[in-house]
Amino acid sequence: MSHTPFILAAYLISGVILFWAAMAPVINKRSLLRQLKARKTRMEKSQ
Amino acid sequence: MNPIYLFFHKTGSPPWFYKYSGKLIPWLWAIFLGLTVYGLYLGLVVAPADYQQGESVRIMYLHVPSAWMSMMIYGLMAIMGIIALVWRIRIMEVLVISSAPVGAAFTAMALITGSLWGRPTWGTYWVWDARLTSELVLLFLYFGVILLYNAFDEPRKAARAASLMSIVGAVNLPIIYFSVEWWNTLHQGSSMGSEGPGIHPSMLLPLLLMATATKFFYGANLLSRARLLLLKQDHRKRWVQDVLSKESN
Repeated sequence: MSHTPFILAAYLISGVILFWAAMAPVINKRSLLRQLKARKTRMEKSQ
Repeated sequence: MNPIYLFFHKTGSPPWFYKYSGKLIPWLWAIFLGLTVYGLYLGLVVAPADYQQGESVRIMYLHVPSAWMSMMIYGLMAIMGIIALVWRIRIMEVLVISSAPVGAAFTAMALITGSLWGRPTWGTYWVWDARLTSELVLLFLYFGVILLYNAFDEPRKAARAASLMSIVGAVNLPIIYFSVEWWNTLHQGSSMGSEGPGIHPSMLLPLLLMATATKFFYGANLLSRARLLLLKQDHRKRWVQDVLSKESN
């Protein structure tokens, strides 16, 4: 039995998991800052 | 003021934590990347295949560090949970909650890579042996902490409930660690026994490099998540408004 597909799958899946774990806070922070900025602009306009 | 109290007082302040953790994160990522590249080079190119496991031993450079991290992070969550509940330090609550997704990621990685190693070595992806089952329970405990935190509307109450669950769930850690001694398992014993590592240095070095790299990954990811959670919780406070004006410039 060739071990290569198992090794490749292990490294690929681990890469995806770690990449997702690393990127999730970055993406969420961008989205949060965008929301907060939009709210700030709305409040400034309404005053 | 006592220097220890002063340290906790300063690090417990969200603006201080946000500012200085932001400076630390790029360094942690850089060290993680450096160690990972060198560790993978040694593990995939330089280290030989194992005489019994063959080439599938290369999965161990991912599986063993992620399994160690899955237990270490939960242990840290339990310690931080105790500090959060006893001394009511908010940063500790934030760190408990922010640790859970990273721990869950490492546990999932340990289970998946272990399964992919098991197929060519044991002839099966999964067996309900004590080590594998207790590691799966650990994954559910991480999910439990995340779900419990999200079940409450009030963040401080949610964090205290999640901290308590982290402490109670820590009972699973000795079960995972000693499962290979307490029961007859298909999973082999500890790679780093009390009589020293039974691994050749050519395989031990990449393993230790990868294990160290995962610590830096945890540090960088934990701080990123904690900063995000602080921004969410304090979005009406003055310091977040200041951060917002600074980061939009």
